[in-house]
Amino acid sequence: MSSSINITTEFDFFSPLVNDESWKSRTGKGVSVAIIDSGIDTEHPDLTGKIKESLEAQNDGKRVHFVSSESGDSAGHGTACAGIISSIANDAELYSIKVLGAQASGDGQAFLAGLEYAIKRKFRIINLSLGTTKPQFFAPLHDLLDRAYQAGCIVVAAANNLPQPSFPSVFSSSLISVSKVDESDPFHFGFKYGEVIELTAPGVNVRTTWLSGGYRSLTGNSFACPHIVGIIALLLETYPMLTPFQVKSVLYAIARKNQKETDLEK
Amino acid sequence: MPDQEKRSLEEKLRTIIQTVDVANAMTEPLTESIKNLLYLSARSMKSEEASVIIRDGDEGDLRFLSAIGQVADQLVGMKIPSGKGIAGFVFSSGQPMAVADVGQEQSFYAEVDKTTGYSTQTILATPLRHNGEIIGVLEYVNRNGEPPFEAFTPTEMDKAALFAEALASLVNAYESAKIFRELGEKMLTKDEEVNFKDVRDWLKNLRSTAEHREMIDLALLVKEISGRGESERTLCREIMESILRCSDAKSDTSFLSY
Repeated sequence: MSSSINITTEFDFFSPLVNDESWKSRTGKGVSVAIIDSGIDTEHPDLTGKIKESLEAQNDGKRVHFVSSESGDSAGHGTACAGIISSIANDAELYSIKVLGAQASGDGQAFLAGLEYAIKRKFRIINLSLGTTKPQFFAPLHDLLDRAYQAGCIVVAAANNLPQPSFPSVFSSSLISVSKVDESDPFHFGFKYGEVIELTAPGVNVRTTWLSGGYRSLTGNSFACPHIVGIIALLLETYPMLTPFQVKSVLYAIARKNQKETDLEK
Repeated sequence: MPDQEKRSLEEKLRTIIQTVDVANAMTEPLTESIKNLLYLSARSMKSEEASVIIRDGDEGDLRFLSAIGQVADQLVGMKIPSGKGIAGFVFSSGQPMAVADVGQEQSFYAEVDKTTGYSTQTILATPLRHNGEIIGVLEYVNRNGEPPFEAFTPTEMDKAALFAEALASLVNAYESAKIFRELGEKMLTKDEEVNFKDVRDWLKNLRSTAEHREMIDLALLVKEISGRGESERTLCREIMESILRCSDAKSDTSFLSY
């Protein structure tokens, strides 16, 4: 009996889309992206006019509300992610959802509320560079990701290469999780089919925007994640009707093509 | 001074001295172990400067518990406000990160460097986790030798995560020992019999980590209730069992109010 999976057929299935590389010259115009993070420095010269709205979590003791924010970025991380996304998708509409910082201490509750809020607003892509290992958040996160999937929101999360599993990056069915590789071309991302963390993208010494109009070279899975967000923004501008499931399949097909090209070069 | 009063004072002093000895014996070996492991790991990471930063209260603030390197003495005890800087981000996000060119522009590290006179150039920070809880941050700063320093690599990031796992167990043991040390000091050096309400009030004001404090508080509460009689014990057990049932069945996943 021959091998059960015919890889050539899989490629043929996506070939019209994968071989048409016009999406690479798009800018992410009209695609909304929520960045659930430490806020964004809207004054950074590279980000001027790109942040459509800045919101931050406020906890009244029981529940979390989101209000308009002018507190910028307290750590630099959100600004770094925004810089990476706009370096790939220059016209994507960025929304800052601040759940880390002075007002929100970064507990799981603010982070979950941020995700719930982003789904409620139906942002097309949600950049989630955060995670939690608290077991009590396992079920609520699962539920939220299902809701995101049904609402058509694509949640992209940074993987966690730590000894303990972190949520939501281990939930592979309804979100896209990304880990870092030493690579400079954002279009040359990879896919590790069958593994918990499926996508790989540049995340080593990534030069990007930082606080006070500065730049930093950063390493971490949380910088690989916004690369894939940028790529998805280009794909969604080109094919606005793609569902989260289709986006993942397209990413898989493109990554396979990337891998094939790399193999041929060797 | 009458003999009896003198004896009582001597006894009291002896108790205090013994308590302090016991107290130090509980935490000192742990702080030493943390420092030794920091030295060992820093050598492996080709870095001379490393620090263990832990929670300070429940609001996300951090403080340096242990440090090695040129400015170690100045760092220990220094506080980092909630969410500030790379340590603040790593603590609240759980994501490890490395920055190759810190301190070129205004940042939290520029403020720390101003105080210590040190120049932070490259940094690796990874969370300290214990039982699913982030309890602090492990940081390595700069490299051996002269600048410019090479950036930390992804392989070193994985290695740091393993050191962080070992250090987190020690930090957790240290935090438990510290709380018992303070509890012991309070209970043993007091004249009158232990008053549970006093101890619980003291716990409430303690700037320590929530889950350690809450566990002791709960234990004290149960102990106090069970000392009040059979009916209180039965009621307490029933309430606690209902809480467990309710927690098992809990399915509310909404954190927002609209």
